[in-house]
Amino acid sequence: MVKEKTHVLSDDGYETSGHFGPYGGAYVPETLVPALRELEAAYMESCQDESFQQEFKELLQRYVGRPSLFYEAKRLAKQLGGARIYLKREDLNHTGAHKINNTLGQVLLAKRMGKKRVIAETGAGQHGVATATACALFALPCVVYMGEEDVRRQNLNVLRMRLLGAEVRTVTHGSCTLKDAINEALRDWVTNVEETFYCFGTAAGPHPYPTIVRDFQTVIGQETREQALNELGKLPDAIIACIGGGSNAIGIFHPFIDDKEVRLIGVEAGGTGNKTGENAATLCLGEPGVLHGAYSYLLQDDDGQIVVTTSVSAGLDYPGVGPEHSNLKETGRADYVSISDQEALDACTLLCQTEGILPALESAHAVAYAAKLAPGLSKDQVIVVNLSGRGDKDVETLAQYLEGGANHE
Amino acid sequence: MSERLKAVFKSEPIGVTRLVSYIMAGDPSVEASLRRLKGLADHGVDVLELGVPFSDPMADGVVIQAAAERALNAQMTVKKTLKLVQEFRRTHDTPLLLMSYLNPLLRYGWDQLVEDASDAGVDGFILPDLPWREGQGLRLRTKKRVGNKLDFIPMIAQTSREQDVQAVSQVTEGFAYVISRNGITGGEVELPASVNKFIESLGNSLQIPRCVGFGIQKPEQVRALAKVCDGVVVGSALVKAFAKLDQKGLEEQDLIEQEKEVFSWLASLKN
Ligand SMILES: Cc1ncc(COP(=O)(O)O)c(C=O)c1O
Repeated sequence: MVKEKTHVLSDDGYETSGHFGPYGGAYVPETLVPALRELEAAYMESCQDESFQQEFKELLQRYVGRPSLFYEAKRLAKQLGGARIYLKREDLNHTGAHKINNTLGQVLLAKRMGKKRVIAETGAGQHGVATATACALFALPCVVYMGEEDVRRQNLNVLRMRLLGAEVRTVTHGSCTLKDAINEALRDWVTNVEETFYCFGTAAGPHPYPTIVRDFQTVIGQETREQALNELGKLPDAIIACIGGGSNAIGIFHPFIDDKEVRLIGVEAGGTGNKTGENAATLCLGEPGVLHGAYSYLLQDDDGQIVVTTSVSAGLDYPGVGPEHSNLKETGRADYVSISDQEALDACTLLCQTEGILPALESAHAVAYAAKLAPGLSKDQVIVVNLSGRGDKDVETLAQYLEGGANHE
Repeated sequence: MSERLKAVFKSEPIGVTRLVSYIMAGDPSVEASLRRLKGLADHGVDVLELGVPFSDPMADGVVIQAAAERALNAQMTVKKTLKLVQEFRRTHDTPLLLMSYLNPLLRYGWDQLVEDASDAGVDGFILPDLPWREGQGLRLRTKKRVGNKLDFIPMIAQTSREQDVQAVSQVTEGFAYVISRNGITGGEVELPASVNKFIESLGNSLQIPRCVGFGIQKPEQVRALAKVCDGVVVGSALVKAFAKLDQKGLEEQDLIEQEKEVFSWLASLKN
């Protein structure tokens, strides 16, 4: 559909806070407005505070295990033919995904703001585990909202959160996935706003979250840049990352945005097809609208209702996306593509069998697109794949696929 | 400013204060909504709020979430909601505000929406996910399109600070919707003792009347609030009362009879 977009919310020159081009903003109940303003102020202060920055940096080194490895997947590249492939190994972080970079930053912020309680939403459970971990480390009580469907398919992570002392609250309405968990966490926050810190898990939601989460995840891109220059003497030709809400992707993209020669590619969940409801390919198939406090691309029907999404990967099963990605799409600086469930599953096995690395199903989407792109490139070109997490949590889902062929549920 | 709304706040309230009611359009059907809007208007409701269903109502508790689900299951849309208002306007003059999350309205197309809404006889909007400071562009755009026909109702929260109240101090149309407590709509939670004080603290900083909403369901609450505000909003308690009738599977005639009891209960709140 070719339709000229009018972005009425940011029209007439009334630029409100926290926009990326026309996207972003803070479209939340009035009760939350002061809380978001307080968060923004505390965050700005923390950016100027060297001791805060130092503490965060040390945690990333000594607790998370940063910098994460920049590993050349030679056997994978050889099998595919074409470009060289490097993996940015966020899967090796403590707790097994990039999510911990953000939660340590936000929980430090919660401490600094004197908040007594932390809440979070989770899809795949990785953000829940990472929040529960940071809360255990800083002795803060933690409540995690998780959709019933995700509780079922990511049960290992539910157990981990409970072991870490978090309370997991199952959300049983709507589609019972990430979007409903966010609704419920927002409802909790509106109700308990004075003492509660909402630790948001991706670079979406109302301002200032897209900026805060991006900044805490930018360490991925900064390291990648340094590692590429050291190891290759040049920047990579393409960077590929999967997109749920977009935090691992914006984290690795951001330091390269001004390097126009580096292609930035976000990979969305193509699910089982291109029809409404069969996928979670928000930027590829959606249109702009307002969900969870931001104006950004959305999967919605003709009446503006949010549609149910499908993806084998719980962490990508989300009908929204961070506003900065919407703007990168609009300006053409990044490309967004989609990968089907089957392609992602195949990429999982491929990476396991060529490199001995089991990726998270989310990250497998990025691997799958690299496998499509590499053969068309030359031997001196380099692709970096952000391997955002490891696949231990997905073993049951993978087993079902391996046993049942394509007819999962 | 909407003339209909202006008239309500100019005249003395009947009973201890003015009554604002909320129901969801299309819950459980367009016909029932129309009948109930008329009934509410006939039983002393001063201002009607009509909810537009949305799949992800983040400011609502379980009662209104369920109402939205029922309405969506019955294929309710913005277009049908406007038609419902048009029908209602054939017979009634009670001011009516659309309460909606942004997305269904944006999707309809804002310019078209404000024209169709004002043609249908809508008097304004309450937009729970559009904080006042983010809405400037949309308000100006609306004014350019349809003049002063549609009011935007600002919400004031318990958490609002001086600067937030300051931002609505210039408003001269409609009324301010004061949220009685931190939280979502509905619930059995008592109103905080501080709510009267909070409303009083708004003092002369607002030029418009104040109506208080969220969690209001008892005559005692209404009487206490009446001393400090110009109206109260009853939402979830009303939606719940109608939903209870709908679940009984009554014959239409019996249903209509029992709806009258709900209208009387509501009217009794301001005695
Ligand atoms: C391993 C992994 N990668 C990616 C994602 C998607 O999130 P985002 O797009 O914010 O990186 C998740 C979310 O749960 C995840 O667990």
